Amino acid sequence: MKNFFKSIGNYFKEFGTAIAKGDIGVKLSLLIMGAGYIARKQIINGLIMIALEAVFVVMCVFYAAPNLAKFGTLGTVQFEQKFDPLTMTSTVNDYDNSFLILLNSIIALFIIVAFILVYIGNIKAVYRLQLRKEAGKHINTFREDIRSLFNEKFNITLLTLPCLGIILMNIIPILVLIAVAFTNYDQQHMPPSALFTWVGWRNFKQLFTNSTTVTFGYAFGKVLVWTLEWAFFATFTTFIGGILMAQFVNSKNTKLPRLWRTLFMVAIAVPQFVTLLLVRNFFGDSGIVNTICANIGLTDFLKGIGLVGSHLTYIPFLTNPNWTKVMIVLINIWVGVPYQMLIATGVLMNIPTDQLESARIDGANKFQIFWKITMPYILFIMGPTLVTDFVKNINNFNVIYLLTQDVYVTSNQLLANSNAKEVDLLVTWLFRLTNEYYNYKIASVIGILVFIICAAFTLITFTQMIKGNREEDFQ
Amino acid sequence: MKKTVGFIVRHVVLAFLAIVWLIPIIWLVATSFSGYKGINTSHFFPETWSVDNYRVLFLEPDSVVQYGAWFKNTLIIAIFTCIISTVFVLMVAYTMSCMRFKGRKGLMSFGIILNMFPGVLSMIAVYFVMKSIGLTNSHLGMIIVYSAASGLGYLITKGFMDTISVSLREAARLEGASEATIFLRIIVPLSQPIIVYTVINSFLVPWGDFVLAKLMLNSGISTDWTIAIGLYNMLNKSLVNKYFSIFCAGGVIVSIPISILFVLMQKFYVEGVTGGSVKG
Amino acid sequence: MKKKVLATLLATSMIAATLAGCGNSGAGETTTPDNSTTTNDNAAADNTTTDNAAADNNAASDASDPVSTLIANTTGTVSLTVWASEEDQTLTTTLIDNFKAEYADVDFDITLGSESESTAKDTILTDVEAAADVFAFADDQINELVQAGALQEVAATYTLDVANENAAGAVEAATVGGKLYAYPMTADNGYFMFYDASVFTEDDVKSLDAMLEAADAAGKKVAMDMANGWYLYAFFQGAGYDLSLNDDGSNNCTWNASGATDVAQAIMDACETGTLVQMNDEQQATAITEGTVAAAVNGTWRAETASDAWGDNYAATKLPTFTVAGNQVQMSSYSGYKLIGVNPHSANVGWAMLLAEFLTNEDSQTARFEARGLGPANIAAAASDAVQADPAIAALAEQAAYATPQRVGGNFWAPAETLGQILASGNPDGTDVQTLLDTAVEGITAPIE
Repeated sequence: MKNFFKSIGNYFKEFGTAIAKGDIGVKLSLLIMGAGYIARKQIINGLIMIALEAVFVVMCVFYAAPNLAKFGTLGTVQFEQKFDPLTMTSTVNDYDNSFLILLNSIIALFIIVAFILVYIGNIKAVYRLQLRKEAGKHINTFREDIRSLFNEKFNITLLTLPCLGIILMNIIPILVLIAVAFTNYDQQHMPPSALFTWVGWRNFKQLFTNSTTVTFGYAFGKVLVWTLEWAFFATFTTFIGGILMAQFVNSKNTKLPRLWRTLFMVAIAVPQFVTLLLVRNFFGDSGIVNTICANIGLTDFLKGIGLVGSHLTYIPFLTNPNWTKVMIVLINIWVGVPYQMLIATGVLMNIPTDQLESARIDGANKFQIFWKITMPYILFIMGPTLVTDFVKNINNFNVIYLLTQDVYVTSNQLLANSNAKEVDLLVTWLFRLTNEYYNYKIASVIGILVFIICAAFTLITFTQMIKGNREEDFQ
Repeated sequence: MKKTVGFIVRHVVLAFLAIVWLIPIIWLVATSFSGYKGINTSHFFPETWSVDNYRVLFLEPDSVVQYGAWFKNTLIIAIFTCIISTVFVLMVAYTMSCMRFKGRKGLMSFGIILNMFPGVLSMIAVYFVMKSIGLTNSHLGMIIVYSAASGLGYLITKGFMDTISVSLREAARLEGASEATIFLRIIVPLSQPIIVYTVINSFLVPWGDFVLAKLMLNSGISTDWTIAIGLYNMLNKSLVNKYFSIFCAGGVIVSIPISILFVLMQKFYVEGVTGGSVKG
Repeated sequence: MKKKVLATLLATSMIAATLAGCGNSGAGETTTPDNSTTTNDNAAADNTTTDNAAADNNAASDASDPVSTLIANTTGTVSLTVWASEEDQTLTTTLIDNFKAEYADVDFDITLGSESESTAKDTILTDVEAAADVFAFADDQINELVQAGALQEVAATYTLDVANENAAGAVEAATVGGKLYAYPMTADNGYFMFYDASVFTEDDVKSLDAMLEAADAAGKKVAMDMANGWYLYAFFQGAGYDLSLNDDGSNNCTWNASGATDVAQAIMDACETGTLVQMNDEQQATAITEGTVAAAVNGTWRAETASDAWGDNYAATKLPTFTVAGNQVQMSSYSGYKLIGVNPHSANVGWAMLLAEFLTNEDSQTARFEARGLGPANIAAAASDAVQADPAIAALAEQAAYATPQRVGGNFWAPAETLGQILASGNPDGTDVQTLLDTAVEGITAPIE
């Protein structure tokens, strides 16, 4: 943390020195960005900088300024349309679209910040040129600059496009949605017909206060607990299942391991949404499994021991809260184990054989070898993936959504009042809030909380991995 | 004697597991050949068999079933997505793994944290970004949506590249090779397994996504859809009783190319994914 | 009587126009609008706006007829997008071709997309500007669509007198706050009782108790989707407990008033028999086909399934009565309509309106009945013998006396669904019934900021 502030301090200090000690070319660069380059005969660099500055100024005037001017209010002019029955045409006023104002403002702010960084960087670069010149060192030609982009500055070349993509498709949308959490964007305030505006922390307060009519706080607690339970069970069942299965299939005593492996792989090859939708019908209240269970008397048996309600004529695989939770985890094992088996197969192949041999010579039996040598090795290797899998499962939208959407009806009235269900994960709940109820404000708050939970969890575990120079140890 | 029993028990258990894993798939294939269009709930195997579902899929497109068009759309999107994603992932992974520059660790942590944000939420903002540049309802738009942020998935590839001996790069550098040459001539060829892994994974994205695609392709014109939206649509309440077996047939057809891909690439896939996750 | 004459006149002029349109487009262009322009003179009584007044004055002067003005002002290609349900694609394509023929002078580029009427709202509200120019939707979505500014007010009509040619209920369903917002397309989106006449006599189907007895005797089930606010409404409204919509989009609901527990108890008692079963629409379709269900509360969209399964014994009637605290109470229902709306964000609002009128005029509604068996909202079309002879539509007409239009805010559905689910499964947790109703009503009436 200290280093962080120190480097920020240095950043501005260098900028200050550059301005103070710079010659006329550097100082002129404050106004015309290319000046310093041109002064050092780097004409093309200079022209590029001037063009960049010009584009930025134009962008500011025509794009950033109009949007940022309305950023404080998110627009004031309501959509109005007038239909003239005589000409049968309609005229629309020059209305404000709160969402677009928000989106464009954030993009504009992004560009402005980026430009400021380029601007400061430019001054520093020009000053460095001056220093080189004074020291009588070689100053790069344009061709040499380009070449450096494929050598010592290759990272810039490589990262530019991917970063642009991430900014456009990831960072900006996230910033917009974080901003939405502080507005009243919901079904009553939906652009283009209506405006929405800033409301401060109100949505957060709503999520954490409980009243009889607003049960978001209650629902959030319930859903969060199930989300964590699910992530835990989903991660560990598939992990252990995958290892056991890999161990089993790849054992010396198994004939045709490739064939068995391929059989289990078929389950991965069918796209997840097809298998999940299929399985949903498979286990439906009047689905084929229920027909078979009723025929062989399993339904009556379960009724007898009280696992199935006495008034039911079927097993509520995907309609009763407890049954559904168990089924979802089981179906997830079905979906996830072959994949984990594949990974575990690879890990098992690399297991150091000398250790296994010496253990065998010492007279350890198979189970001892598995628990004392194989498992610790696998855990050591696959620990990091366990962490990522856990986070992935917190955000595992497909399994829950495809298995329960349109089928599962909650029987908890307080959850229903917040449009949540017992089997919802935070992500499926917020998806339903946005997609069916257009309650973007609460969904955004939930999204931010999911983000904080996941980020905190990963940060703690991942700092261990990035810390130190572990990477180099392996190279 | 004991050994034979063990052998038999082992294979009986394996066979049982295999059956559990294959039952839904068998049901999928069986239903796809069913003469009855709705969901058959009383018999596991259809009462009447027919190839009618496949005929409808390919030869008799109606507004609900435009399988040929969907397949083509998805294939185009998948091919380009997979090329761009793979290139992006390799680029980011190489910089993070093999180059040392200021802010590298900060960027890496930032990338990991960024991945934590639930994608379903920012979807609506992605939609409006794409709409403001006029790329909704287009293949190009879908490709951008699927591949633009793919650089964030660099972690496993980086882990793989970390295992490539640093002395190779140093030797090349001594001989005067530039970073670009090292990247293209040394690292990329050595990363073959992880490239296959990335290619398969990114190729599969458009085949399985129905949420984002449904949002982006909202013209209501079914020939614009991808396979996932089209098949998902068939299970719409008002359609499911007429299209369930066709849905199954569609599911079978999608699985064929993916299965082939998997079987062919199985070896690389295992190497790639384990090599990468070993050093995560 | 007057309406009928008007309708006939209109229909004739329509046909004439179509013929003229085909043979000689030049003549058609001027005659069509002249004959059939009916601005809202009648509707103006309850719907006076300055716009209408202007239209009236203008129609009277007849100097510049709006439609011919529009044709004259239209240059280049008119692009329109239409959304109709998957099942309606073929028919709508034909109707659009007829529309193009009617205005043969104009160059149209009309794209037809598919969007189910029941989910139109979800797609439209996500991005109104990207939605189709003309779209079909179910009338329960009209409040939310109007609120989101997704419906162009039908401020004036040109080729069709929407307010008077359609059944009063349909017009009411298309009206919000005294303003007409949509064009009624069908009047068959409500629910009633399908039954197998070999299991139930005509007397049996009058009361739910008798039905359950008869079904039990035959070893069959009666199906209803009680875990769905739409159907659950039948019980509570039937027993006189209100559910209505406030101006701000929140609900009024008295389902927890004193005595309402008897209704909840009645539902639980009926389900307790095991003969009345909770099944959603898809499950009912399967169960009817397989023969386990011999009667179901459902709508015209299941008519085909039911008549295929029961053949000559296929019958339909109004909903039965049920027993509340010892009294027989007639079940109520939602009357449902499918409407066509015009998107105010359309670049060609005028043409979109004309197309909406065309798609809902008498001929189109008749064609829709002939092609798909959908009950017309148009009075003249509904009066035809063929329509009257359809059992499902007759049952709807019988039920109409007990049906109310659907006016309910979005907060109703989730709590009602859960309430229905709990009641249908016999209140497994044994919660106090009054508490159940209180909690549900709290959710239903939750305030909207």
